[in-house]
Amino acid sequence: MPRVLIAKTSLDGHWRGVNVVARALRDAGFEVILGGEMRASDIAVVAEQEDIDLIGLNVGGRVEVAERIIATLSDAGLGDIPVFAGGTLPSSGIERLAQLSVQCFPPGSSLKEIVSAAVELTQVDPLDKK
Amino acid sequence: MVLRNDNWETSSGIPLRPVYTDTDVPDSSRHGLLGQPGEAPFVRGAYPEMYRSKLWRIFQLSGFGDPNDMNQRLKFLLDAGETGIIVKHDRMTDDHLYDVDHPEIMERREDVGLTGTVTVGLRDYEKILEGIPVESVYCKPGGGVAQSAPYTQSCYWSVAEKRGIPLKSLSGTGQSDFFLTYLGCPMREQIPPEAALRFNLDLIDWCTERMPKWVPVSIAGYNGADSGLNAYQELGSVFANAIEYIDGALARGNHPVEDFVHGIGGVNFRTSMDIFEDIAKLRAARKIWSDLLQSRYGISDEKKLRLRIHVVTAGSYMTYQEPFNNIVRGTVMALAAALGGTQSLGVSGYDEALSIPSDHAHLMSIRIQQILQEETNLAAVADPLGGSYLIENLTDELERRSLEFLEEIENRGGFIASIADGWLMRKAEEGNSQLAGDIESGRRRVVGVNVHPIDDSILEVEAFEGRSGQQSWENAMERLTELRHTRSETGTKQSLDNLCRTLDSNDNLIPAVMKAVQADASIGEIGHSFRQVLGNWTPPANF
Repeated sequence: MPRVLIAKTSLDGHWRGVNVVARALRDAGFEVILGGEMRASDIAVVAEQEDIDLIGLNVGGRVEVAERIIATLSDAGLGDIPVFAGGTLPSSGIERLAQLSVQCFPPGSSLKEIVSAAVELTQVDPLDKK
Repeated sequence: MVLRNDNWETSSGIPLRPVYTDTDVPDSSRHGLLGQPGEAPFVRGAYPEMYRSKLWRIFQLSGFGDPNDMNQRLKFLLDAGETGIIVKHDRMTDDHLYDVDHPEIMERREDVGLTGTVTVGLRDYEKILEGIPVESVYCKPGGGVAQSAPYTQSCYWSVAEKRGIPLKSLSGTGQSDFFLTYLGCPMREQIPPEAALRFNLDLIDWCTERMPKWVPVSIAGYNGADSGLNAYQELGSVFANAIEYIDGALARGNHPVEDFVHGIGGVNFRTSMDIFEDIAKLRAARKIWSDLLQSRYGISDEKKLRLRIHVVTAGSYMTYQEPFNNIVRGTVMALAAALGGTQSLGVSGYDEALSIPSDHAHLMSIRIQQILQEETNLAAVADPLGGSYLIENLTDELERRSLEFLEEIENRGGFIASIADGWLMRKAEEGNSQLAGDIESGRRRVVGVNVHPIDDSILEVEAFEGRSGQQSWENAMERLTELRHTRSETGTKQSLDNLCRTLDSNDNLIPAVMKAVQADASIGEIGHSFRQVLGNWTPPANF
């Protein structure tokens, strides 16, 4: 089954949305690794070692921190791992991340849509891969 | 967000009948056992004349960027009519007690100052409070999580001392909340719960001896509720927490319960859109506290049995979509708080789901409260819903369910044990999942989100950016460098050695923290001392 790493970009301590999304993905058949508050370099290491198929970023802070993580992944040769994001992202942040092919799900997004996006990004129905 | 379909029930699952009549009123209410406002068990209000004699305090969370930004925002809020001030700190540096050159902060330097103001030490607190009359203002100086409370309060108190204002004249409150630290926002590198209990008992002792107008700790039911606990779980766990404080302070034997209980009886709760349940919750809370202090601790002085309540409106109910709708939500939740008899109130900004409040959103939170206070007759009559068949019924039902939940916590070893093993966190998670599922399925209806959505830019709001880029971080780096170069290294080092020795002993921690901040120790150096001596908490696995 596809493996999703979920990480928080900021040290803001808000877990509500992270846990709800993680549970929805797990219930949909994904293997979810909750990485917590991770530095960019740690995300790259875990993504490689754990053979991660998709990275979900909870952006509780500014979009620059998420951009730095994506640049770090790219430098580590992991630019082909798809990334999607959620959190308190203003529309300007959503636009900037869209330019890096990162789809964003701000508060109020439907869990069904988030799961569909994860399925599409990993290009295989997780229930088939079980 | 009211439940629809065939099941009409409160947010915590209490079934609602189509109409309530005289037969639904509990005997306690029918036979006058609930007393008058200002009388035990205080169901009908904490004070006899309630808002006629004192309006609720307008008390908004505030803070971002540099100390100067914080100072200007505080003055803006006071000018607009705020009647108490809250200094909200940057969560990254303050909750973790990190200096801005800590590797975890360097990695996220753009986030610094986004969630509150950044302080590198006491000197920054002087800038925050420049021109603010600390001798007369009611203040909550940060310190949401347990480990930062001694630091932020020591800074505030030290500013007062430097201005020649005696500590005993200061009024305000700390928070130092277990729900925030270990349930709602568990974060890396927090002191273990046992150490947090010691910190809070030290604060209680310190304030009992020196600061009669200061509430040293404020149990924040809000943080439990907005993390997923329902109304009776919120009440039950708040009082389970209070019991740990009282028993802990009694076990130390420094003061009789009558002398310190005032410092524990100032708590906060959340109001949401389920206004009837929330009004009943505040009424039930006062009764549970009054009964508990009388029956368990034998307190007979009625004044000591009074619970004072601060309410924060549910931030999680503020939607990202169509933010201006949140002004209406804030108003409804504020109304519930006033009808329930709160002593102070913070209304979440309408832009809560986007950012910390803009100046406009902040002003609206104040205006909502002022309009309720000035333009309605809310202030005229105490407990205006007392005697309502529905409200009396719900008050009684919530009391019953809360006491059951409290008993469940006590039977499994108490509040801290139930935090430490993740049990309470799992209860909150269940509540969260249920809420998310109900919104997803449409069982809970949220206007502009899952019902009546329209896509129109007329409803959009700009997110408040504060200081953009790395400005707050760069400015804080400069202040930290200056602090390190202009202080007396020997004095700072001695104060930190003294802090470590105190942490390792049974002595009260607060004088040592006061000495350290006054010797220009940085926030990170104080945090480092805590971590070195006390170690870190490992959160229970909850997923």
